[in-house]
Amino acid sequence: MNKRGDKLLSIYWFAILVLIAGGIFLMVYNFYNHPYDVREIEAEVLINSVADCLSSEGKINSELIYEGNFSEEFEENFLEKCHLAFESEVWELPQYYTEINFYNSSDLDSSVFNITKGNKNLVSGCVIQEEKEYEREVKCVEEEFFSFDENNNLYLIKILSIVRKTEKNAK
Amino acid sequence: MKKEIGKRGAILMENVVFIILNLLFISILIVFLLKQGEGAIVLEQSYAKYIALVIDAAKPGMEIKIDMEKGKKLAEKNNIDFDEIVKISGNSVKIKLSKNGEYIYSFFNDVNVTCYPDTSNPEDVTAYIFKINEYNAHE
Repeated sequence: MNKRGDKLLSIYWFAILVLIAGGIFLMVYNFYNHPYDVREIEAEVLINSVADCLSSEGKINSELIYEGNFSEEFEENFLEKCHLAFESEVWELPQYYTEINFYNSSDLDSSVFNITKGNKNLVSGCVIQEEKEYEREVKCVEEEFFSFDENNNLYLIKILSIVRKTEKNAK
Repeated sequence: MKKEIGKRGAILMENVVFIILNLLFISILIVFLLKQGEGAIVLEQSYAKYIALVIDAAKPGMEIKIDMEKGKKLAEKNNIDFDEIVKISGNSVKIKLSKNGEYIYSFFNDVNVTCYPDTSNPEDVTAYIFKINEYNAHE
């Protein structure tokens, strides 16, 4: 009786070992089967690059604003001026989008100038995620800061950056 | 008396075998867990994304040194030269640690980058240097 009990116990023990091993294998497989998602960091780095290009040491880039007027030429050639390359041979369509809005400090509700570059279709992805975040949607990051122009007028600059690259970062 | 000693010995033997089997099981699990994080697919992806992010945040004139010891060991195992594991073409980084696979990730910083193994210590070449030359010119 005792031997039979021992036998039963060892079968039971073996079954537990198999279950534990199976569980760990599944968890590990699931973990490593998911790609590392770096899009949020990428979007933050993009914001930093854009901010560095627009403003330095609290002063707005003189190429962008001169005597209170924003330069259309800077807006048109924004990607070249800020050394950004949104096109890539890896992707058919641009995987980035950036939108910059300038607000006069006396009226923070309506923007006085804006720059938008990249794939505009990505913006809808941010709207969808206003209430809940979806892994397979784009990553959106928004930052804002104040900066002076050469005449010491204060502007609020809001930068939105969006990164898609879903296939490489989410499953 | 003799019989009793024999029985005790059998019980001890069973316990020893049981403990050894358990230890073996735990060791196999630990080795499995450690090996999973060192696979070519995982390493290729993490190196490519890491390098792309570093380049995105870099400015011309910078020289960045990245340790790739794990990648080197894996590449050597798969008969790939260390100076061929990282390639930068246009604005994308390509990492190759196995004969059949590679991983490509793009960056947005419009810079010209050159990369080569760090040979400052010829006896221990395990790092790569990424030199950010200048911004790409556009006509």
